[in-house]
Amino acid sequence: MTGGVSRAMDRSVFVVVPIYNEGPVIESSLTPLVDKGYSVVAVDDGSTDDTWSIVRSLPLYSLHHAVNLGQGAALQTGMAFALGRSAEFIVHFDADGQHNLDDIEVLLDPLRKDEADVVLGSRFLRESDRRAVPPGKRLLLRTGVIVNGLLTGVWLTDAHNGLRAFTRKAAARIDLHENGFAHATEILTQIRRQKLRVVERPTAIVYTERSMTKGQPMWNSIKIVLDILLRRIFR
Amino acid sequence: MRPVQFILVVLLMVVTYVYFNRLRSGLLDRLIVLVFAGVGVVMAVIPNFTTKLANLVGVGRGVDLFFYLAIVGLGFMCLLLYSKIRDLESAITELTRALAVRKANTPEGVEEPHPE
Repeated sequence: MTGGVSRAMDRSVFVVVPIYNEGPVIESSLTPLVDKGYSVVAVDDGSTDDTWSIVRSLPLYSLHHAVNLGQGAALQTGMAFALGRSAEFIVHFDADGQHNLDDIEVLLDPLRKDEADVVLGSRFLRESDRRAVPPGKRLLLRTGVIVNGLLTGVWLTDAHNGLRAFTRKAAARIDLHENGFAHATEILTQIRRQKLRVVERPTAIVYTERSMTKGQPMWNSIKIVLDILLRRIFR
Repeated sequence: MRPVQFILVVLLMVVTYVYFNRLRSGLLDRLIVLVFAGVGVVMAVIPNFTTKLANLVGVGRGVDLFFYLAIVGLGFMCLLLYSKIRDLESAITELTRALAVRKANTPEGVEEPHPE
């Protein structure tokens, strides 16, 4: 069912893909993950187009939120599901085709060597990746890095990079309540609180026209900070 | 009695009636609404009373005092509603998640884990 490729070892790697209205591109994003032999957990976050009917017909684990809750909620659902299976490693992977498939192994490497509990992707560790980031986006992400650092005490080189990898133990300790996009900051808070070992690894981001429009514009950034601050007040 | 006083009293009575009739609320909530409505009627009928109260705390007119209190009250209500909405959201999230996990599709050829 997985295109003839079945590396038994990789079955313990669960790739969680949050999906919302990705209709036209979703199959081409998911199929390579399946072919690679990973256990793919596709979480459709209440899409209003035909995304769910496409996803459910693919040879992978597919889950469906009856209502749209947000990316953070979809990731948490995927992680909870993967932990209920035989997942040894759990990877977050965006659905819009912006990530490079081969980067997954790069992120898993420190986990397999037991050098880290969590590995985060960064597009600012290699000159070639850095140059691929549009200038406006670069400034926004730089600001995000500082905001995240100040709020969580975890200082990184990138913010809101959708590619992350966790050991089973680390994933079990992460419990996301931030349903929207503020989950990226919440993950850092929990990494710090749970005293997990975190490292960054270089990842390439492909900026397609689609991922640019679906990305997070200025207004979203403001909303994220608001979400985080409100959560601080309302425990 | 000026017309505006009459209108205010009638409106207060309508709101109270609707609350008691339509919303299934606890005894305490009903009591609070009744007290508020009573105070409202007193304030509408005897404006001098609220002005005296306002003078006591250093505000010139009863209307102004009421205005300040109303703003604070509205802010408080917003916070209350907000935290209620957050509670609701997390309940919906839990339900949606449980349903999604229970109804998950498994690819062919993969064995389901044995229920523990």
